[in-house]
Amino acid sequence: MEHFRDSAAPLKIASNLVSPGHFLFHSKKPSGPPASKVPQKMDKSQQPSSFQQLEKLGEGTYATVFKGRNRQTGEMVALKEIHLDSEEGTPSTAIREISLMKELKHESIVSLYDVIHTENKLMLVFEFMDRDLKRYMDTRGDRGQLDPATVKSFMHQLLKGIAFCHDNRVLHRDLKPQNLLINKKGQLKLGDFGLARAFGIPVNTFSNEVVTLWYRAPDVLLGSRTYNTSIDIWSAGCIMAEMYTGRPLFPGTTNEDQLIKIFRLMGTPSERTWPGISQLPEYKSDFQIYATQDLSLIVPQMDAIGMDLLNRMLQLRPEMRISANEALQHPWFHDLPQIQAKLQQQHQQQQMAGYGGMIPPQPAY
Amino acid sequence: MNENDENGPSARVTRAKTAALSTDVSAAGAKKTMQTKRTTSTTTGNGSLRPRAALGDVSNVNKTEGAEVKAGKKPVAAKAGLASKATVQTGGVQKLSRTNSSRTATRPALQPRDSNKKPVPNAHKRPSLKDTAFQVEEPPRKKPELERKTPIEKIAEEPPVKEAEVSVKDAINDAVQDLDTEDLDDPLMAAEYVVEIFEYLKDLEIMTLPNPDYIDHQPDLEWKMRGILVDWLIEVHTRFRLLPETLFLAVNIIDRFLSAEVVALDRLQLVGVTAMFIASKYEEVLSPHVANFSHVADETFSDKEILDAERHVLATLEYNMSFPNPMNFLRRISKADNYDIQTRTLGKYLMEISLLDHRFMSYPQSHISAAAMYLARLILERGPWDATLAHYSGYTEEEIDPVFQLMVDYLHRPVSHEAFFKKYASKKFLKASILTRQWAKKYHHLYVDGSEQSRYAKDEQ
Repeated sequence: MEHFRDSAAPLKIASNLVSPGHFLFHSKKPSGPPASKVPQKMDKSQQPSSFQQLEKLGEGTYATVFKGRNRQTGEMVALKEIHLDSEEGTPSTAIREISLMKELKHESIVSLYDVIHTENKLMLVFEFMDRDLKRYMDTRGDRGQLDPATVKSFMHQLLKGIAFCHDNRVLHRDLKPQNLLINKKGQLKLGDFGLARAFGIPVNTFSNEVVTLWYRAPDVLLGSRTYNTSIDIWSAGCIMAEMYTGRPLFPGTTNEDQLIKIFRLMGTPSERTWPGISQLPEYKSDFQIYATQDLSLIVPQMDAIGMDLLNRMLQLRPEMRISANEALQHPWFHDLPQIQAKLQQQHQQQQMAGYGGMIPPQPAY
Repeated sequence: MNENDENGPSARVTRAKTAALSTDVSAAGAKKTMQTKRTTSTTTGNGSLRPRAALGDVSNVNKTEGAEVKAGKKPVAAKAGLASKATVQTGGVQKLSRTNSSRTATRPALQPRDSNKKPVPNAHKRPSLKDTAFQVEEPPRKKPELERKTPIEKIAEEPPVKEAEVSVKDAINDAVQDLDTEDLDDPLMAAEYVVEIFEYLKDLEIMTLPNPDYIDHQPDLEWKMRGILVDWLIEVHTRFRLLPETLFLAVNIIDRFLSAEVVALDRLQLVGVTAMFIASKYEEVLSPHVANFSHVADETFSDKEILDAERHVLATLEYNMSFPNPMNFLRRISKADNYDIQTRTLGKYLMEISLLDHRFMSYPQSHISAAAMYLARLILERGPWDATLAHYSGYTEEEIDPVFQLMVDYLHRPVSHEAFFKKYASKKFLKASILTRQWAKKYHHLYVDGSEQSRYAKDEQ
């Protein structure tokens, strides 16, 4: 400890310089400017009290989300309150989330309106969305199952949001129904960028502790720390199947159980089907060998073209997985305009009939 | 092993260890582990604070040298200049109302114009450079199984990319090789997004440029102090074994903050250490504990002061950390250079000059990376700046020239940033700082006229 302090000590370095070295780190007059000059930039314009805090919408590991109302405009917002760690300050998740969400302005990504930083908390003001996809499926679906038209519309929006992130060198890294938000217009948007991060090219080494287990890609489960955009595609595939069936596709309990659930359906990979797999840290040569199952047995509701897309998203090998931009070009989306028109019509009918958003009709939108 | 982690092996050890410790992460556990930074970073902290091991691993300095360093240390008048506690909150910092109108950013043109106009010294004139032991000493790799994923390893198995035979006059576009197609099978290269991403980064780099004249509104500061601060931060950065990206982001945070706020002299180091703290949180998988930062600043500032400063810096920058890291551009050009590790190592050193010398501040990161690679190739005699290089860097030889001249000028001056010089004097970095200075001493007169010289002298006064 002693050594460390000495060797990096500023004075030593400064003293090697020709001119008075002490000036940088220790001024002659040990007095800062008067306190009146101290600005509190963010805090002054928008007090948290500009928003009326309403009911709690959810609670996460590092944040609590409330419904809120803008006192001036009456507009509804979501207030994400981040608890500041008194010892470590602003969480890195918050710094990344705010920085990235300010960049990512897209119709399929939840908008961040404002950031209010006070003494002991950080409040993010987001566009208000009615509910997350999980709750939407529970309340609007038939035993959690959504109708094919809604699934297609949601998948298209999900992939558009993902493609936009990837074009802007951002990995979401935590896609799951709870982080996809739905509003009354039938729009789906990506939310919760707490685990997101910008990537470089080549993609940097990251933590492999990302993505909620059930939606985590096999390469990440096998310990790869050099994953890329394809991890978001795997999650999207899991979500697609879940929207059809109403049940999570791979509800594993542990890392290993998760892998086994995936292999049971997609087949156990080998060095032949996935060159390099045996080099991954969590790879075991004695994985139970399963043959590849037909996905349509698990997701019988899905048509053949949709099944093709799903199969391309759920490739075990990350480099074989379809990209978001390619997925958006997939034939499955060719009839999207008609489907959207139909959904629009249904939506209007519901509005006319005064359903609001509360009664679960079938199909949803 | 990632090419990215060029600072030393031990950060990897720590991370690998951490990864190994958390074998079974349940759904709920996933996020939590990400956040229990303190448990894990204690390891990092202790590791980097361990006196000998820390220095030895990173810089190849042997024990005797290390002892000398230690002996040569003066006891530090730690609290001498400590600011009055009344100004603790955001003391010494005052809001600045003027806008950054004096930016001189240049937009790159993608088309190369000319290939080789410069008088390149003959090869036989520079034997001393060839003599220097060019044993590339790569950091030991902890995970050999992952090695083959890095592009450097990969390229070895592929047929080398042919030098573009540039016939400048006809069909320039034909001369530019498409180097992205070969990456379609390599997920790490994100080949299907690479063009969009680099276009986006070029926009971002303009938006995150600091005001290159901010010193004009800093009554307490001089450019020289910025150099000293960054030199010290380079030492801190090496000790903590942080990623190269973290250093570049930290300096960008400092400069953007100083573009927006007036900072008193005795708060400058606080701004610096806070910028490194924030940059670590943004870039690193595991960032060091705040206590490590207050400690490394010799307890001149309390943890609380750093945390307060963090909030203030973040608010001032409106949490915008979207600075496009020059390492991305460097690697992009390196691709067109057949991933030559020597050029890239020299290029990295040359790029870092832009952190210490304020004269680079008005140039976007892509421009600086292009100049760094250009100069590195010149020094190592790697042939002309052909159409492929011009295309992947985004800059022609002509466009590179002003930045190139600044670099040569910096190298020709006496060493003024010792930590920076020492870091790159190690074998691991090919003795880049020594080598490039030797070169500059010999050939400086061929490239640099007197104008930069006088400008620098003026600024430094």
